[in-house]
Amino acid sequence: MADHSVNPESTPLRYSVKGKRMRFFGAQGVDELVAICMGLAQEMWVIKERQAALESVAAEKGVVLPDDVEGHTFTDEQSAALDAEKQGFIDRIFFTLREEAESLAAEPEEEPPAPSLP
Amino acid sequence: MTESIDHDLKVSHTKDEASRQGFVAGMRGYVLNNLSGHMKTVWDRKVEPAFEKANGRLPEDGPEVHKTFKPETIFKFYSAMRCNTQEMVWRSVMPAVEREGADLSRRAQVLSQAGDKAEGTVETNPNFQVPRYVSELDVHMMPGNYHEERIDYDVTQGAVFDNGLSVFSFGLLGDRMEDITESVSTFFQARYPDEQPKKILDLGCTLGHSTLPWKARYPDAEIHGVDVGGPCVRYAHARAQSYGVTAHFHQVDAEHTDFEDESFDVVYSCMFLHEVPLKNIKGVFKEAHRLLKPGGVMLHYELPPNSMTSPYDGFYLDWDSYYNKEPFYKAFRDADAKAEIEEAGFKKDSFFEHVAPSRNLYGTDALMDAARQDGAKNDSRVGRFGDGVMWYFFGARK
Repeated sequence: MADHSVNPESTPLRYSVKGKRMRFFGAQGVDELVAICMGLAQEMWVIKERQAALESVAAEKGVVLPDDVEGHTFTDEQSAALDAEKQGFIDRIFFTLREEAESLAAEPEEEPPAPSLP
Repeated sequence: MTESIDHDLKVSHTKDEASRQGFVAGMRGYVLNNLSGHMKTVWDRKVEPAFEKANGRLPEDGPEVHKTFKPETIFKFYSAMRCNTQEMVWRSVMPAVEREGADLSRRAQVLSQAGDKAEGTVETNPNFQVPRYVSELDVHMMPGNYHEERIDYDVTQGAVFDNGLSVFSFGLLGDRMEDITESVSTFFQARYPDEQPKKILDLGCTLGHSTLPWKARYPDAEIHGVDVGGPCVRYAHARAQSYGVTAHFHQVDAEHTDFEDESFDVVYSCMFLHEVPLKNIKGVFKEAHRLLKPGGVMLHYELPPNSMTSPYDGFYLDWDSYYNKEPFYKAFRDADAKAEIEEAGFKKDSFFEHVAPSRNLYGTDALMDAARQDGAKNDSRVGRFGDGVMWYFFGARK
């Protein structure tokens, strides 16, 4: 299996788009809610795909999943790994809420303006 | 969703990252096919009839469609979801690139120095000044754009763009994501069989997707690509070496290259001009004219001009100029390319324009059939990223 652990020599990238953010809704916060809903949908899809893989693997091995899952307890190590994963999960969904701050930090001096809105 | 990257700079995404990418690609398909279809229906059945009733006429151009449509809920959701999907494209691929950045740089150097499969070269300039219209933007919302560098022999932004493009194009660009130039160069060769270019230049080449297909059409030709992004030309060269295609890449501004006068037979660009301000496009045309041998051909793959599209399609294609960090796109689509080209010194009345069916979607026979027909026909599929896309290109002769 590929090693996806954090590479000590990796250089952090900037994930936020710099400059002016696009807004479409008049009511405050709706644009952010759209972004959060899309993040949620994406993360739900990740879970669905992983679950489908899990069920498929389990079936191949003859494991009856519902009973086994119900009675399962995570080890301390697994719980810690899930907790760490959860932080990333939350951060991805609520990405839009840190975006404004990050964009401000990477503010261009002279962003070429889009044409005036008609 | 990064299956179309099969060269030696491929990065390894986790299962969850791959799921995220699959979701984004699916969302793009949904937004650009389904949601955009719903939006057109709302326009046709509700908004345009209401406009006509109120004004006694139809909207006359894209901006009028835009202004009329802007308050509609469907427009707001389409726009907000397109913006979010666009941002999610890059974010879905960045973790793997971030993890492997230093290793990518090493791999790129090894590929660039290896001469066993190809003998291309790459030239970067540590003192190069990236034009401000590039350095001040995250073009199409790609954090870091084409040029930002953080480490030695940095290819990171090339990798972000390559992997992101693979998610972005959801299969529309075919194997190696070279469909546009595969289609355009195949069309060009069929349409102009007497052309036997010995030297071809690709302006704003980024990762070489638009550069390498020319070598397949004209194996004896010397192929060059230029771009302002150092990470892009390094990545392009390593990618070409990995594929065993000899091509030469240079970090220079397309307006001010250091090639000799009259040294190229074909000067080409793909998806480049719409990211350049009009005054600099004029400079690019002049530079292309300087570089071409007498009788040489300049051609550009681009979005079709507003003069060729309906008001609704004009609005639809210009959306990116307002909302996708591509601010120069509309001015380019509004411009009269023929007049600009003639002003740059190209032969009067040598202007041509064509629509090439996507080879990936329609096959080579359809492409050959189209090459036998004259002119570029107005069709809402032209330049519109979605099912059935066709590619528009134009050019002129020195």
